[in-house]
Amino acid sequence: MPEIFIDNIRYEFEGKPKVLQFMLDQGLDHPFFCYHPSLSIPANCRQCYVEAGTPVMNRETNDWELDENGERVIRYFPKLMTSCSLEATDGMVIKTHRTSELVKRGHKDVLEFILMNHPLDCPICDQAGECPLQIQTYKYGPEGSRFEHKKVHKPKRIKLGPRVILDAERCINCTRCVRFTDEISKTHQLTIISRGDKNYPAVAPGTEFDDPYSLNTVDICPVGALTSADFRFKARVWEMNQTPSIDITNGKGCNTDVWVRNNLVLRITPRYNPDVNDHWMPDIGREDYRRMNENRISRPDLKLDGNKIKSSWSNAEMTFAETISNAKPEEFLVLGSAFSSLEDNFTLQKFFKSRGIENISFVTNIQKGSGDGFLMDDDQYPNTNGCRMLGFEELSPATFKKKVSGGKYKVIISLEDDLLGREVIDTTDLNSAFFVYFGSNNNKTSEAADLVIPISNSVETPSTYINVDGRCQRTVPAKETIYTNRKLNLEMSVGRLDRYGTKFDNWVSDRNRVDCIPGWEFLERVALLDNSNFGYETSEDIIHEIAHTNSNFSGVSYEAMDEQLGVQLKVTKETKEKTA
Amino acid sequence: MSQKYEFTKEELAEIEKIKAKYPDKKPPVMPVLWLAQNKFGHVEPEVQHLVAKTLDLPPAHVYGVVTFYTQYYGERKGKYVLDVCTTLTCQVCGGYEILHHLEEKLGIKAGETTEDGLFSIQSVECLGACGYAPMMQITNGVYCNHLTKEKVDKIIDDLRAGKLPEYENMPFYQHGDPEPSKS
Repeated sequence: MPEIFIDNIRYEFEGKPKVLQFMLDQGLDHPFFCYHPSLSIPANCRQCYVEAGTPVMNRETNDWELDENGERVIRYFPKLMTSCSLEATDGMVIKTHRTSELVKRGHKDVLEFILMNHPLDCPICDQAGECPLQIQTYKYGPEGSRFEHKKVHKPKRIKLGPRVILDAERCINCTRCVRFTDEISKTHQLTIISRGDKNYPAVAPGTEFDDPYSLNTVDICPVGALTSADFRFKARVWEMNQTPSIDITNGKGCNTDVWVRNNLVLRITPRYNPDVNDHWMPDIGREDYRRMNENRISRPDLKLDGNKIKSSWSNAEMTFAETISNAKPEEFLVLGSAFSSLEDNFTLQKFFKSRGIENISFVTNIQKGSGDGFLMDDDQYPNTNGCRMLGFEELSPATFKKKVSGGKYKVIISLEDDLLGREVIDTTDLNSAFFVYFGSNNNKTSEAADLVIPISNSVETPSTYINVDGRCQRTVPAKETIYTNRKLNLEMSVGRLDRYGTKFDNWVSDRNRVDCIPGWEFLERVALLDNSNFGYETSEDIIHEIAHTNSNFSGVSYEAMDEQLGVQLKVTKETKEKTA
Repeated sequence: MSQKYEFTKEELAEIEKIKAKYPDKKPPVMPVLWLAQNKFGHVEPEVQHLVAKTLDLPPAHVYGVVTFYTQYYGERKGKYVLDVCTTLTCQVCGGYEILHHLEEKLGIKAGETTEDGLFSIQSVECLGACGYAPMMQITNGVYCNHLTKEKVDKIIDDLRAGKLPEYENMPFYQHGDPEPSKS
């Protein structure tokens, strides 16, 4: 196997890796700015310098040439090489800053050049704390600047598009954003204009950066030049905690991180998953943080004589139990939801199966033609495949409307799905029935419901979703409800503010916690009233049971999903046909 | 957007010829921008969009090219564009003095155009005439070499009278040689 020597340590490699990527894969730290594993390699920042040499081949003996000590003779490249664009070859010798003073000096001098016109506004810059330039200057940079002249001034606060704002002075012209629009989103909207020390990225005059993936450029910007119009100046990075999650605004199920401060989700960023979304996610998924924070249902709502009142949990449980015991099985319409998690859907199915109701249906939300074949799918709901695999009856909005109108159902029970908001049905369809709605946000459907059960959303309880390609992925709780506690639930991440703040500090808030429980927990509690409960204590118990009782889900567990970035399930022929 | 500006059939045929010279889509952008600038006198954003549409390229790319080269006029300029070189050699030999003299004389700053629309001044990078520093170029054409304030004054007066300076024959000579006679 070909070998490469990095800082006098031998490594073996396969294929034709680039030296920088190979070093990063080995866990060796090396500075770089313009390189990105998913983009082309322009080698324009010059930060990833190494000393590189190849052994000299004796053409006669066809063997390495040796010196008097029996060591291989190494012929070094005359100048420092950019490791990002340097392909590893057999026997190559690499010296990094760890062993070479020259490379150390090179890194320092390149940084001095990059910083020459870079403003010193880290204290007010959004990128501070997660800024490669800041980190690498700290690690490899010069201690001071020798530049005594006025820095070049460029435009600030340019609104490139509806979601992205540019501060041209901070830009180091790595062209990651330009390459992103050229190679990944293929809208070609950005370019670098002008030249020399005056250049910065821009859109063509008369156009705007309205790329549906535009916010990815903010993520890959190695400095604070591109910032999100929505998130800028909202929080310092170190005040938030970061939790892995799944984007549920779309059937694709992009892997995300949610960033939480004081129990408010402040931003959503993509998380690397080579099998689903690589490093990217659509802008629309990042808007979803509002749904997680705002307009939440807290405490159960009950309709009494047409007036909504807040009810206690025990009252809600009793009302629910009474309602279902007063109706005959054929008078029930039980709706799962492709918007809700596998846990909730499965418990709903199990709950009603034990009460003689086998048929559970769900209403699809597939907008034909709205997908782009990349990270936005026609399917607007994250768990359509999950519902199919559980064996729910799939109803198109039109068939459902036909089914529900006519008033033959006395009791309608629905997991979170804004049927009225997306105009599948209207209030007249529900008039004759007692409508129970499990939801986490106030909407038209919750307004029309007779009993509203507030349930935890995907960032408050572990939720599993199966995306359009059959990948089973789960979220991790990031946001506390009034019944959960970050410091007691070891799965939740604890940030600096959570750890050291107290609710008596004026920068920590104990508010923003919603009075809600997971949907499955409510059903478990109702079942407990007549001692027919299932014994679920955590959502993990449910997934364990699904995996062991339904062959569609064999191999699924939280550990497997966490370790392998989701579990790939077989999409059965049935489900595939239906999707097509 | 490109309603106001159109290429004629003959020009489009010319563009097809230019395109045939190159294997890729991107290279023709420069000659086609020249063609457009010669026709319209500038390559304002609307013309850039026309060029982008004609060559089926992203407008952002055309914009990048236009802003990179000072020879393309991304906005309307005066009749005479005075490109004063201020890169190292000219700078050392007094390029900035010439530039500031021009600015004072015409009452405008580099990058601006006089009110009568006759002159624009640009401070540009090296034009490859370091041997004749300081120098300037007039409207992407005539090079005026070995500039002095007096020579600049004369050039401006001539231009006002509608007379472009002639190309100068600049033989190579070294320090110590007798100065070549001014043509």
